Amino acid sequence: MIEIVKHSIRFILFLLVQAFVFNQLEIGLGIQLMVYPLFIFLLPIEINIFLLMILAFSLGYGIDIMSNTYGLHASSALLIAYGRPYLFKLFEPRDGYLPGAELSIYTMGYAWFSTVFGIILAVHTLWFFFIEQFKFSEFWFILLKTLLGVPLSLGICILIQLLFLKKPSNR
Amino acid sequence: MFCFAMRNLIAFFRRFRIFLFFALCQGIAISTYFTYLSYPRSQYLTTASNVTGQLWKYQNDVTKHFQLAFNNRKLQYENIQLRRKLPASFIPVYGNVVKIDDTIQHQQYEYIPAVVINSTVNKRNNYFTLDKGKIGGIKKGMGVFSNNGIVGIIHNVSDHYAVVKSVLTEDINIDVMVEKNGVYGLLKWNGKNAKIGSISSISNDLPLKKWSKIITRGGSGIFPRGIPVGKIKSIGTVEGKPLWDVEIYYSEDYRKLQNVYIIKNLLLEEQKKIESQVPVDEEEE
Repeated sequence: MIEIVKHSIRFILFLLVQAFVFNQLEIGLGIQLMVYPLFIFLLPIEINIFLLMILAFSLGYGIDIMSNTYGLHASSALLIAYGRPYLFKLFEPRDGYLPGAELSIYTMGYAWFSTVFGIILAVHTLWFFFIEQFKFSEFWFILLKTLLGVPLSLGICILIQLLFLKKPSNR
Repeated sequence: MFCFAMRNLIAFFRRFRIFLFFALCQGIAISTYFTYLSYPRSQYLTTASNVTGQLWKYQNDVTKHFQLAFNNRKLQYENIQLRRKLPASFIPVYGNVVKIDDTIQHQQYEYIPAVVINSTVNKRNNYFTLDKGKIGGIKKGMGVFSNNGIVGIIHNVSDHYAVVKSVLTEDINIDVMVEKNGVYGLLKWNGKNAKIGSISSISNDLPLKKWSKIITRGGSGIFPRGIPVGKIKSIGTVEGKPLWDVEIYYSEDYRKLQNVYIIKNLLLEEQKKIESQVPVDEEEE
């Protein structure tokens, strides 16, 4: 029960923060900071895949409505929600995940988190820019924007966890 | 046999249900993106809707002060320009001149002031939200400009808000011309730099000069002639076509845009009506 409340509050916070703060920042070079993939990443591992996709889709669509992108964020959020179980299986530690644990930097460590979340962010950002442009002639420009934007977003997502997530006390 | 096929079909759906659900949602998202890009069917899923419009208004109430000094200076410059044209700032040379109420010139354009409450410049297609809508007299397809240059065309309206398709979109296609010699083309944006636009379909036998001023042509009745657009940055050649590839610097900095005017063309109906009477050239088709 408390998990549901926690994730609902996070849903709203990530929606507002992405739409009003990070989509408004103009860094230049076409970089866009993506923070809300962290919400999708931090949902429990045991969550039903359909629920996961519905949550990702509605979060993306909410951001779309707020920033006039008409379905771009929804599409890319859905893609990473679909790919998440496969990626987690691929990067499973030797003795499996702890049941009910959040896969944050505290439980999984910096190296694991940066690799897996970095892949998710890269896929998300690449897909986002490809649908937005819909032209393969812009490939190098899209790749440049992704390569510059992903490390920045990753850093901000790590910072968010350091600032706002509680360290699990039993470890 | 039929029963077997049916069972296979059900098994197929069960096996791939996750992927099918994914594909369905993905189809919804992408098709919405491409339909809304060219033709918005409703205002509810955009910032023109009342709920999100209100949220952006709250956000703007906080952030509008950041650019306040800059925008005040801009408005002040414009006031000076207008004040210079006032009768009070002229010395009457001939004492006995009488001003007669003018019936030769009718007013064609009216301007509605508005404030940009949401804008982006780093997407492929950028839309701005304004704080005025249908009740403020705004309709789809009206032109928007600021005191430095053109901004875009109204894309979508609700009762209190409007969304502008800015010149920072791919297919904005406003007809613009070089101020000096009247060479004209269509305005485009390549999606990379918010300061630089381009003009297409200028034939390469026409003379062009760097730094010449670009203004709106005013052919379609959306913009009056003479609203500044920018200056020519570079002139290149398009491979395999007899056309110039012209890049321009925009005269407005869209990253700082706040106060804009919406153009209401009082004679647009008349222009549309007379243009619709032109017989369609059937041989061309």
